[in-house]
Amino acid sequence: MTGSSASSRKVLSKIATNRLQKELVEWQVNPPSGFLHKVTDNLQRWVIEVYGAQGTIYAGEKYQLQVDFPEHYPMEAPQVIFLHPAPLHPHIYSNGHICLDILYDSWSPAMTVSSICISILSMLSSSTVKERPEDNDRYVKNCRNGRSPKETRWWFHDDKV
Amino acid sequence: MVKGVNTAAMQAEQLKLDGNLYFKKNRLGAAIEAYTEAITLCPSVAVYWTNRALCHLKRNDWTRVEEDCQKAVQLDRNSVKGHYMLGLALIRKEKYAEGIKALERSLDLGRGANPHSYMVEEIWQELARARYQEWEHDSTKRSWDLQNLKESCEIALIEKHLRDVTQTEGFTDEVTDSASEQLEALKSVFSKVAEADTPMEIPDYLCCKITLDIFRDPVIAPSGFTYERAVILDHLQKVGKFDPITRETLQPSQLVQNLAIKEAVQAFLEKHGWAYRMD
Repeated sequence: MTGSSASSRKVLSKIATNRLQKELVEWQVNPPSGFLHKVTDNLQRWVIEVYGAQGTIYAGEKYQLQVDFPEHYPMEAPQVIFLHPAPLHPHIYSNGHICLDILYDSWSPAMTVSSICISILSMLSSSTVKERPEDNDRYVKNCRNGRSPKETRWWFHDDKV
Repeated sequence: MVKGVNTAAMQAEQLKLDGNLYFKKNRLGAAIEAYTEAITLCPSVAVYWTNRALCHLKRNDWTRVEEDCQKAVQLDRNSVKGHYMLGLALIRKEKYAEGIKALERSLDLGRGANPHSYMVEEIWQELARARYQEWEHDSTKRSWDLQNLKESCEIALIEKHLRDVTQTEGFTDEVTDSASEQLEALKSVFSKVAEADTPMEIPDYLCCKITLDIFRDPVIAPSGFTYERAVILDHLQKVGKFDPITRETLQPSQLVQNLAIKEAVQAFLEKHGWAYRMD
């Protein structure tokens, strides 16, 4: 894992800027359903509203994702967290960190914000219980100094999330 | 005799080194003098000419850049820098077609040497900018000509209509209907012709799945997916040795140039010069 919170504060590279502009245009033309991105002039941080899908235990609920892009996006994954309050889910910690492999070890530069959003929504939709991960308290305590989830050594709860 | 020649060559090399030193210190006049002396001693070394051209370039002396580079590419047909600066000089003089040709030659040569060097990126940027300028220039003229032609056609149609009305008694409604239909048809014919010059979305199959941008130097992986060469090489080096879409194992040596897509991109850009726009 090459990601660190320090590198994500650096300005975007030319390739990253170019690609994010393209993603933004594509999002505006064809947004993933269940998401709303309030466009600001900050290309490096997107705040996206997530609407719980109908027929799932999150139906009618609304959450916010914060996506921060590193200098060398898409060669490096963006940092994606839920803003407070994070949905109650066995793979989402109360500090908003998400245990989802594609955000860390399984990242691929062919993925986009849009495909990340779809993965997160499907992770929410497949849950049958509203509860925190077992190790929530320990994990959140360890992150109190503002550590990025990209610095966590994740072991993924199961392969099919 | 042989010894004499060697001495001249050694002296010229030393003068080149002096010139390079002056250039680094931004003493362009002194650098030009040193390179000129080197050229006088050994006029057949292309690098002396391209080094002097670079000094002229820093001074925006494009006529001299052109002269020196013409000489350099004459001496060394494979000089990346010679073709590159020649292209820049020609474009400054609004000789777009020739300048673009020179830049393309230097891009091909540069890619052959090192497909993802900073030089190749720089040449591509200049080439795209020149192509875009050329398109702006040509398309402005095209749209002006078309507009004039369209107006003439409309006037002719209306005049014909007026003549028909005065000659036909009683059926003026029908004549008017057919005239307005023809005017509509004329309008759609002209807007069709202008389509190629109207920016639209670039088809997905001409864009890399990583950059989301139109291909420059496409390579195909065993998975069948095509990527931008410099970017997929960067991915294999930094992220991991796998195909970004299928996640199959992938080694740099497995990537092969995708000539079909490259030609398709060229054909598209030939027709839609606006796609060279880079922000």
